[in-house]
Amino acid sequence: MRNLIAKLALAAAVLGGGISAAAAETANIWVRADGSNFMPRIVDAYNKAHTNQIKLDIIPNAEIIPKYGAAAAGGTAPDALSLDLIYTPSFAAAGQLEDITDWAKSLPYFSSLSPAHVKTGTYKDHIYGLPFSADASVLIWNKKLFKQAGLDPEKGPTNWAEIAADAEKVNALGGNIKGFYFSGNCGGCNIFTFTPLIWASGGDILSEDGSKATLDSPQLRGAIDLYRSMVKKDLVPAGAQTDTGANFFAAFAAGNIGISPSGAFAIGALNTQYPDVDYGVTFLPGKDSGWSSFAGGDNFVVTKGTPKLAVVKEFLDFAYSLEGQTILAKYGSLPVRGDIAKEALKDLDPRYQIAAEAMAKGRTPYSVVFNDLINSANGPWTQMINEVFFGDDVDGAIANAQETMQSIIDQAPQK
Amino acid sequence: MTSITAATPAPPRARKLTGAGRRQWIGLLYVAPAVALVVVFFLIPLGMTAWMSLHNWPLMGERSYIGLGNYVAILHDTRFWNALRFTGWYTLVVTIAIFAVAFPLALFVERPRPLTNLYRTMFFMPAVVGFASASLLWSWLLNVDSGLFSPAAYDLGLIDRKFNLLATFQPAFWSIIAMVVWKVAGFTMIILMAGLQSIPQDLQEAAVIDGAGPFARFRAITLPLMRRTLALALILSVAGSILAFDQFYIILRGGPRNQTLTAVYWIFNQSFVSFKLGYGAALSMVLLVILVALSLVQLWLLRKPEGLD
Repeated sequence: MRNLIAKLALAAAVLGGGISAAAAETANIWVRADGSNFMPRIVDAYNKAHTNQIKLDIIPNAEIIPKYGAAAAGGTAPDALSLDLIYTPSFAAAGQLEDITDWAKSLPYFSSLSPAHVKTGTYKDHIYGLPFSADASVLIWNKKLFKQAGLDPEKGPTNWAEIAADAEKVNALGGNIKGFYFSGNCGGCNIFTFTPLIWASGGDILSEDGSKATLDSPQLRGAIDLYRSMVKKDLVPAGAQTDTGANFFAAFAAGNIGISPSGAFAIGALNTQYPDVDYGVTFLPGKDSGWSSFAGGDNFVVTKGTPKLAVVKEFLDFAYSLEGQTILAKYGSLPVRGDIAKEALKDLDPRYQIAAEAMAKGRTPYSVVFNDLINSANGPWTQMINEVFFGDDVDGAIANAQETMQSIIDQAPQK
Repeated sequence: MTSITAATPAPPRARKLTGAGRRQWIGLLYVAPAVALVVVFFLIPLGMTAWMSLHNWPLMGERSYIGLGNYVAILHDTRFWNALRFTGWYTLVVTIAIFAVAFPLALFVERPRPLTNLYRTMFFMPAVVGFASASLLWSWLLNVDSGLFSPAAYDLGLIDRKFNLLATFQPAFWSIIAMVVWKVAGFTMIILMAGLQSIPQDLQEAAVIDGAGPFARFRAITLPLMRRTLALALILSVAGSILAFDQFYIILRGGPRNQTLTAVYWIFNQSFVSFKLGYGAALSMVLLVILVALSLVQLWLLRKPEGLD
């Protein structure tokens, strides 16, 4: 018996040794479910062309953060992670990520990488995350309904007054057709699509370094009034008030909504799942003119101390190649390299060009407590947007949110 | 005589002891799997929770021992106390509502009559659905645009504008109460029915002969003899309601405007949204103490009166 075990052990050692000598290493990477369209494609392409291999795990959106935390505590974290970019500061602050400053700066195209990603990937002047996938917020409108309402179907709204006027005209078609849609109880949706209205008008909700909440501004107040007036005129379906994000995309895709703020992801999703909906894409405008966008997406981060750093770098290099950027663009992410974005998009739906332009000028708030402030369904931002869009006490709601947000920022661990 | 009595009982007594001792050991062996389960899945996690509650324990990064720091922070955590107050109010309302529905149902299905089994099954059915699935179902029923209640009322002409039940506190709160009663009343009904059936029929008959009316019989015979059943149903209902989470998370997300955040919801948020595991553990310990205290009070209130078997 002992003899047999020894033989088996020997065989295993020989086999194991043989494999590691012949083939290269395999790195494990996680991505959230939002990336389940493009990530497997680019991993496949990489695995076919390289001896090193990537093993991909797709994790549900809501679970990837706690799951990664638990895995890191248990020593089974993946070698790298495609992480919602807004979490990069808090992960870096927790000391969980590998400092990749030197490598990042050695990339010849470093300066043309999406600035919003690099900004959130930087913590205390060190780089912990680099852009991987990108999504920018835009305004979409239903061309068919615009035509029926007597509007120019090729011209989307370019300021707030036009949004309200166009929505009202579409709404007048009656039946179950409504002018405008937004998810009125979803913090994440509204930081993505509502704050650009404020940015484009010159306001902001957080100071540049994330240390001060700045909700008390005329720009925020103005954008609120725009939404409130549309709610009051009944241009928005009643379900918007309690939509926690489930209908963020679905409401427009059903074809009964005139205008809706959305994201670049909607272009790919509409084209593949709802080919009958004829829609236009434009920028989220400012009060009188100008435009802005929320630059979202994922940063690529490396778990501190991983032995597979070389494989991970090789994979990211591949993702940044023209081939990699084209695969990403084709399957639902915007390119993150500004210098070759046009080339990567040239054979795709021209509406992507608008989104890519929005991405290039897009902004991302910076905070180590972004989840507590903004995304949490019970956080101050979510509570405020619901109160100010549908409630009676706008000033009280803003003041309350300002105070709560500031106290969350002040209580955050200072490291 | 004395020497005999002193000599003879001694050996059998000794044998008897070893027999009893052995039986005790065998008994321990039999319960060992259960004890192991309790230790591994209850006592050790409980100990770990207590240990975590003494630390600043983030989901990621370094933890540090802070003694009773988390508990001091709880004293100033007004949102937790608000959540606890809401949980208390919810528990009170839902418990009364469940009993108000379950008791008549139990009286109705207790005695055999045509179709009794059908009724019992019907009333009990919702209890076998998980809370999460039931919440998803009601989340759809209550949806203002694509659900059942509001669109149906609108199409029937009962209201001239669709009413969003989940948008303001009172309709949202009472919708949840309705859902929980629908879901739980059947289970409470079965417990109460078992209690009703355990009351000897001759007691009731004797009371009838003595000229007691139905109400007097219910008050003087049924209720006192159901004391233990009531205690069980009450403790299950109160404990379940204080730990309520699924329905508020799935249907309301703690809304409208964070007015339906329960204690467990707040613990969940602190632990897995704000990643403060240590603080969440401390909150859990506080909730545990409250729950144990409440259960003891209920057991004491419904204890057996002196002299009654």
